[in-house]
Amino acid sequence: MRLAAVIDATVTIPGLKELAMYRSSASIPFAGRYRLIDFALSNIVNSDINSVGVFASQQSVSLMDHIGKGKSWDLDRRRNGLYFLPTSQREGDQLSVGSFAALEDHLNFFNKSTQPHIVVTSAFSISQLDYNDMLEKHLASGADITEAVRDGECMKSYIVSKELLMKMIKGFREDRVVSVEDIVNLKKKPYTFAQYEYEGYFVLINSMESYFNESMALLNEITWRQLFLPERPIYTKVKDEPPTKYMKGSNVKRSLVANGSLLEGQVSDSILSRAVEIGKNSKLENCIIMQKCVIEENCDLLYVIADKDVRIKAGSVIHGTKEKPMVIRKGSVVFEGEDV
Amino acid sequence: MKKQMVAMLLAGGQGTRLKELTYAVAKPAIPFGGKYRIIDFPLSNCTNSEIHTVGVLTQYQPHLLHQYIGLGTPWDLDRRNGGVTMLPPYAEADGIKWYDGTANAIYQNMKFLEAHQPEYVLILSGDHIYKMNYMLMLDFHIKQQADATISVIEVPWEEASRFGLMETDEDLQIKRFVEKPADPQTNLASMGVYIFNYQKLKEYLEKDAEAEDSSHDFGKDIIPAMLGGGEKLVAYPYKGYWKDVGTVESLWEANMDLLELDSGLVLHDSAWRIFSSNPQLPPQVVTSTCEIQESFVNEGCIIEGKVRRSIISQDVHIKEGAEIDECVVMAGTVVGAGAKIRRAILTPDLDIPANFELQKKDGEITLLTKETIEKWEGSGDDAFSGSN
Repeated sequence: MRLAAVIDATVTIPGLKELAMYRSSASIPFAGRYRLIDFALSNIVNSDINSVGVFASQQSVSLMDHIGKGKSWDLDRRRNGLYFLPTSQREGDQLSVGSFAALEDHLNFFNKSTQPHIVVTSAFSISQLDYNDMLEKHLASGADITEAVRDGECMKSYIVSKELLMKMIKGFREDRVVSVEDIVNLKKKPYTFAQYEYEGYFVLINSMESYFNESMALLNEITWRQLFLPERPIYTKVKDEPPTKYMKGSNVKRSLVANGSLLEGQVSDSILSRAVEIGKNSKLENCIIMQKCVIEENCDLLYVIADKDVRIKAGSVIHGTKEKPMVIRKGSVVFEGEDV
Repeated sequence: MKKQMVAMLLAGGQGTRLKELTYAVAKPAIPFGGKYRIIDFPLSNCTNSEIHTVGVLTQYQPHLLHQYIGLGTPWDLDRRNGGVTMLPPYAEADGIKWYDGTANAIYQNMKFLEAHQPEYVLILSGDHIYKMNYMLMLDFHIKQQADATISVIEVPWEEASRFGLMETDEDLQIKRFVEKPADPQTNLASMGVYIFNYQKLKEYLEKDAEAEDSSHDFGKDIIPAMLGGGEKLVAYPYKGYWKDVGTVESLWEANMDLLELDSGLVLHDSAWRIFSSNPQLPPQVVTSTCEIQESFVNEGCIIEGKVRRSIISQDVHIKEGAEIDECVVMAGTVVGAGAKIRRAILTPDLDIPANFELQKKDGEITLLTKETIEKWEGSGDDAFSGSN
């Protein structure tokens, strides 16, 4: 085992504030049954890395609840495994991955790890990156830091030796840098840099627009097949929901549907999370409906993102637009005729 | 450590009436409801009833069952103290002792029970679909000061002769147990769920082991012996969904009951979840060409065709133009474009060719296997082109 991994979950995503009011950005729901961090964690375990530090900011209850001791990712190990590392950082640097101030809080994670190389990544970059292959190329290049790129775009995932990373953490204030990403962007001397060319599914969820568009892109079967590779499964917390039930009179088309839902209305071009209820004669188009939402009867929803546990009362009409989907906050109840 | 009640789950059955479904797996391992295996029901009932010590007795085709249950993690039965223990037949100095009857299987695992020193033993079988709180039954057993309590359910009179029946007095005390009588005097059927006072059970199992003419069966031997011995046996009337899924027809019916609003079988119930080993598959994709009505669909599926009144297990792909009607489709199957299938149970991992047809009339149910596909001679058009 030559690699350990760091997931910097202290990063905040400015445009996604509304979905991260009660949770860390890393635990924002995505693709029906997942949280953003599931993709980073699954990539790591699918690359046979079994020592992972999740650096979390203060809003970490939902993240901790979701990943627990890492059982769903097979990371509940006696040796190595998952380390949940809350940091004193109130908010990480916006969109800057590998914050030294956060890593500094848990130098022990690095001191204790026996792996000579470290993957530094974040939760808002979704891909099927194989870190083992990346390490091979990194070692062959002889560079100090390798960043993963697809078609020239930075994927915000890096490999660096443990020794060098610890040196960077110790000297970051003097060097006037804030993160691993910062050093790479500045091409900071005296370090040497290499790029790892990746082909395959990759998206950055860094705004509400990209969140919505990349969610909807998964309705395209070709895109869906690029992300969900049978040989590299995406793991998430297990919920024991029964299969989804399509009731008499339902009409569901071109959608991504997780388990445990009861569907009675009309749904098209939408993403439905686990245990959602869609009432009779309700019509949903271009919507993202998160876990345990209840859309009662006779509702009309267009371009709506309903966060977890939202209840939309019977007869409500809510229309957002493609450019600006209407976001309904976690746990809220919307009544007919109410402005949201 | 002393336990109040230990559950013993009889999971060794072959279930020959389920035909090809049980060639490679034991009956309790048969898939159900698009996501579960039959054994998930009694195991989840144990977990939900807070019974944390469960012995699972296996014999016929045990490999998949052992692998599936593993340490018992999905049912929260991976415990330091108790938890789930797999109990296959084992060898002693004088040879291997296969389980010979349900009572004999328990008798041969007396050492397991002795180690836990329970006050009560719950005997379960691995071939019924139901949700039941065994603790309520234990409360009843204790209140009745019974030596054994047998859970019973009212079955339709016309079907009563298919079951083991309990004749009781008005206080629910059991007077007679009759196995599948031609002329039933009662419609209270045994559900195969028993609670015994452990010391009494031990006494009768030891006696039964000595009896040369015994078939070592709970229904045929132990219960009559206890009645003959003057022990107090009471019937615990259970009201709720219960189904023996011993035949292709009843397995199909139980699956279809998931689609009825008033069948009493509800799985969307967070207060009494049925736990299962979750295979971690992506959400299902339904395309613009699909039509799904009154169906259960599990994760990992791609549905492009028409699905009506069916149960679709994980990782099934139904291609465009295919029509699935009143079917149970088990995991991993691909239904080719334009195929038409009505009233069948599709065994796992089939590759159904395009335009395949198998449509049964109302009242008929069939099992669709690899063999059925190999034997299929094609639709009229294909047969014609094939002969050229």
